[in-house]
Amino acid sequence: MSGFSLPSATLLAQSILSGVFVGALYGLMGLGLSLSWGLLRLINLAHFAFAFLAAYLCYQLASKGMDPLATLVILVPAFFVLGAALQALVARFAITPFNSLLLTFGLTGIVEAIIQTIWTADFRKLESSYSPMKFKVGALYVPIPELITFAFAVALSFAIWAVLRYTDLGKALRAAAEDAPIAAAFGVDQRRNALLLAGTCSALASVAGVCLALSFTLAPSQIYAWVGVVFAAVMLGGLGRALGPLIAGSVIGVSEAVTMAVTAPSWAPIVSFTLLIVILVLRPGRVG
Amino acid sequence: MDTTTSLSRRSVIAAAVIGLTGAAAGVRAQGTPIRVGSTLALTGPLSATAQIHKLVGEIYVEQANKRGGWLGRPIEWVVKDDQSKPDLARTLYEQLVTADKVDLLMGPYATGAILSAMGVAQRYNKVLVHHTLGIPSLAKYEWQFPAWSLGSDPATTVPNTLFDALAAGPKPPKNIAVVTNKFPSIQFMTAGAREVMKKRGLNEVLFLEWDFGNRDFGPIANRIKDAKPDFVWVGAIGLDGNLLLDAMKKIDYVPPQHFYLYPSPGPLVALPEAKNALSVTIFEDQPPFTANTGAAEFVKIYRERATKAGLADPSVETQAAASYTAWQILAAGVAATKSLDDKAIATWLKANRVDTLQGKLRFDGTGNFGDDLMRIKQIQDGHWVVVWPKEVTAGGAKLLAP
Amino acid sequence: MNRLLKHRTPWVIAIAALLLAFVPKLGLPAFYDSLLYLMLHWIVLATSWNILSGYTGYFSFGHGAFFGAGLYTTSTLLARYDWPFLATLPVAALVAALLGVALGAVAFRVKGVRGELFALLTLAVTFVIGTIVGNTPLDGGQGVSLSAVPVPAVGPTQSSTFYLLALAAATLTVLIAWGITVSRFGAGLYAIHDDEDAAEVLGVPTYRYKLIALAISCALAGVAGGIHALFLSYVTVGEVFTIAVPLTVVLMSVLGGSRHWAGPAIGAVAITALMYSFTAADHAVAGKAMIGAILIAAILFMPEGMLPRLLKNRRRSAPLLSVHKAAAMSAAAPAPAGAQGDVLLRVRGLHKSFKGVRALGGVDVEVRRGEILGLLGPNGSGKSTFINLVSGHYTPSSGTVEFEGRALGGHAAHRIASAGISRTYQIPRPFGHMSVLDNVALATMFGGGVGNPDEARALAMRWLEFTSLQDKAAALPDALNLHQRKFLELARALASRPRLVLLDEVLCGLTPTEIDDAVALIRRIRDQGSTIVFVEHVMRAVMALTDRIVVLHHGELLAEGSASEVMQRPDVMTAYLGNPHALSSAHA
Repeated sequence: MSGFSLPSATLLAQSILSGVFVGALYGLMGLGLSLSWGLLRLINLAHFAFAFLAAYLCYQLASKGMDPLATLVILVPAFFVLGAALQALVARFAITPFNSLLLTFGLTGIVEAIIQTIWTADFRKLESSYSPMKFKVGALYVPIPELITFAFAVALSFAIWAVLRYTDLGKALRAAAEDAPIAAAFGVDQRRNALLLAGTCSALASVAGVCLALSFTLAPSQIYAWVGVVFAAVMLGGLGRALGPLIAGSVIGVSEAVTMAVTAPSWAPIVSFTLLIVILVLRPGRVG
Repeated sequence: MDTTTSLSRRSVIAAAVIGLTGAAAGVRAQGTPIRVGSTLALTGPLSATAQIHKLVGEIYVEQANKRGGWLGRPIEWVVKDDQSKPDLARTLYEQLVTADKVDLLMGPYATGAILSAMGVAQRYNKVLVHHTLGIPSLAKYEWQFPAWSLGSDPATTVPNTLFDALAAGPKPPKNIAVVTNKFPSIQFMTAGAREVMKKRGLNEVLFLEWDFGNRDFGPIANRIKDAKPDFVWVGAIGLDGNLLLDAMKKIDYVPPQHFYLYPSPGPLVALPEAKNALSVTIFEDQPPFTANTGAAEFVKIYRERATKAGLADPSVETQAAASYTAWQILAAGVAATKSLDDKAIATWLKANRVDTLQGKLRFDGTGNFGDDLMRIKQIQDGHWVVVWPKEVTAGGAKLLAP
Repeated sequence: MNRLLKHRTPWVIAIAALLLAFVPKLGLPAFYDSLLYLMLHWIVLATSWNILSGYTGYFSFGHGAFFGAGLYTTSTLLARYDWPFLATLPVAALVAALLGVALGAVAFRVKGVRGELFALLTLAVTFVIGTIVGNTPLDGGQGVSLSAVPVPAVGPTQSSTFYLLALAAATLTVLIAWGITVSRFGAGLYAIHDDEDAAEVLGVPTYRYKLIALAISCALAGVAGGIHALFLSYVTVGEVFTIAVPLTVVLMSVLGGSRHWAGPAIGAVAITALMYSFTAADHAVAGKAMIGAILIAAILFMPEGMLPRLLKNRRRSAPLLSVHKAAAMSAAAPAPAGAQGDVLLRVRGLHKSFKGVRALGGVDVEVRRGEILGLLGPNGSGKSTFINLVSGHYTPSSGTVEFEGRALGGHAAHRIASAGISRTYQIPRPFGHMSVLDNVALATMFGGGVGNPDEARALAMRWLEFTSLQDKAAALPDALNLHQRKFLELARALASRPRLVLLDEVLCGLTPTEIDDAVALIRRIRDQGSTIVFVEHVMRAVMALTDRIVVLHHGELLAEGSASEVMQRPDVMTAYLGNPHALSSAHA
């Protein structure tokens, strides 16, 4: 392990910024997962597969000339419908959270196979008009695609937080998650709400997918590369809490980035996950 | 081995190969097929590259069968999906040998699976020709033969080739940043490079390692930029090169000269900021390589089929070339010994040379490796151009430095 | 001899294992040995995971860490220190177990770390250990090559050696998994799964049991890892310390059925077979989709797993005892030592604050042997807190609790239960997945100290008769109505033969007839020799049953004495009803 090197202030700041951005992506990817785990009691592994499917579709549409952000107009409603439809199918069966893990694992396999059949196992990178865009704040570079991701992550997290906290729908969802029979007794239409929520989670996955396409290279097997760290962010942030994945994701992203800036990058997972362990043990109340 | 013997042996091989590929059009292979078994990572993280090997194998077998197959019999390739898992590869190779009872084995994709297959081959005394083993020192079985001409000590010879090329170029670097993936076959090459750099009196200004699967290259790019190197050695595999270049672009940094060890070539070439990037290769779709045995025809067919299959990069380079070479090696062994006897084939291969896409290969070094045939190539004008050593360049191609 | 033959299952397992040991001799192509090795390997991993996570409900995402620890222990000993292979396996098991216990010692102490937080902790540990291994000479990134290590000749071929080793490991694992389910330890684990706090209060030493389950689980995973190291002959960090191993074992256990000891094994065989059947190259990608579709169908139509669905078709033999003597209740309890009227429980200065909210502010109470003491007070006065403190559910902020002369304040709840105190919950908290009989038997086994589960069930039956629930013995608590559930709480509280029973609003929600039944029951409990502290609002029951009452108000002792006296006092009436002067002046 190479020793510690004192980083320049710029290096540190740029690294922190880099960590914030990647953390925002963790948060954006984790948002839908957290909501469905916390409020629908579904551990949706297929969330990652849907995000990648959306990413590939965005790539496909963009390579035909469409602006990548404009693809959201098509993808978000399409995935909303997809998510709601799946929920409608699945709701007929009694599914425990762990059963849902198995179910969505199967679904992930199917989606991965579809992606590989259409786009082969090759790496695909979207070169959009946004890719080279960036601006400087003092000595710091702020790349546009990452900024877009960050903006989406923050806006959507806060929007969902506000909905859950202040609207009737939000309260109904939280109530149903805590005690379904009582909520039903109070007139909460759980079926309809579940469809709405499932559709929303899927739509969130599609937004995450577009952000992925903007900043990262895609490959079918990459679906699994994100599972570990996003699950960590979701669990740390507290299930069903809208701001949780974003905050937890940032903690993970920044701690890893700072580690990479000051010492051997291969130690990064140790720092972030040890920090996680320490947080859990000292303050097991939810972060965020 | 003296030249006369090798020359006469060479003619034997040439004759055999010509006989097999024969001007005799319409020589159809007949009889019970010769079954060659192998696995490939058709699904899972390694599938991006394994799909190339599948295509090459199919092309080889088809072409060979058109010309009469091996020993007059058609070749049948039994290939299974090891899902990128070495333990599955091991089990499937055992199936191929003990249950499917194939006649001959072909190697799988990537070091881990190859080592598993090697164990099985060793237990059942089968010869194993493989095409992508990245760590020669791990190849301890007598009857295994590499198609990827790394030489027995690539960690020393390949960096030397590279630094020779740089020294002969317009701006020989003095301060070098070394950054690498910790993937086994990459890491040991980087370690060798650092030794070579020390011996040559070059100054290492930065050394960083990252884990396979790292997503955030921002801090790494920043540290490279801060270190102000003249040259960056990137121990990259797969996507790393792209991700690092993306990260460097985001902070407006273009390394003066840069080298990527085993990147996925297609995606890298497509990247505008990969201009002048250096890498290594054993074959490129350009003269003089295209004059080697079997090259011209194969390159054409591969391009057609790869484009049809939707692969991003339809040109033949290291992976496809090594794969095709492996089949050529096995074919030569079969033809020369006129048999499917593993011991005979192995003994023959150890003592002889085979004419392949990469040139004349020998297998009498440590671990049955022969010469290091890794050449230096560079992205110029959006294409890979071989720039070193001089004898394999074409059209006056030279290493460029901005 | 009879005890040995009492359970058929271990014999079935042992004989099956013995028969399977002859497979290498059948002369099949060697690859079947390797394929079966893989299945057995996953049986060990999935079953060992289930011992902690399926039985206790502490869902671990960290099985990869323990598997990896065993794998790297063996690799290091083989590659660096030239140990003989078989000798490395016990060490691999030990290292993995120590790692697990170290993790558990910290994680299980922190009350909030349950559910997904425990899963996260174990996942984080996997990445930390993987990174450490990858950055130190243990692996350092190069991988460890074991091709030069000789494989011991346990079987005729190398593959059969691995097969036999894995067979031995799988047999051991499955026997342990089965053995746990029929033991007292297993009953404790299942109770922890359903309601850990209630289990602790009933006498289950939850912390210790969780650690033991974790240690066993990790040790077995370590052995599997050790064997696998040599099977692979080239080990790299990237293969092992990922989410793939834990995810796979979860899938296998869920598919097979995680409450049953054999469920994970069935799941392991099914999923390995499934993954294996689609290896033909032509269908590799489509095969992946097929596997996905099959898994989806499987879980939709078999939501509890394959095994419960398979077993549903066979007639379940009832866990009831066919022969039991309906002994007269009077024979059940021995007369307690000590004279009537002795001080049984002495509470001095008992104080409890929750983050600045003072629930109890220095209460002194004495409970005399053989009495029924009523604990009264308006809502929020601290009655439930008092019970929670005495039973060990909470730790006192200050003050002492002495029971039969021994200081018990601050002790773990399970020790208090063993000392002779038990309680019921206001809202019944039965163990939802266990039958009514098993619920009560749990208390007999733990608080009551009866080691043998069958004996415990026989004793539990008597308590069910005492509370008139004997017809419901095989039912699940879901099937009971509120009245029956309250009686179940009572039976459970009594089954540990406590000298002091704390009843927390046991009558709330009952109809008048049911209340009469309950009152009669409580009397019989006292007549049997137990002392009772009785929190209640139903006044006629309080009047009818209690010898003395104690009234709490805002966390402090307001009054004490006989029921009729105390209830007439003006300050007590004010506490319950509001200012009497305001009332009377309003009427004036």
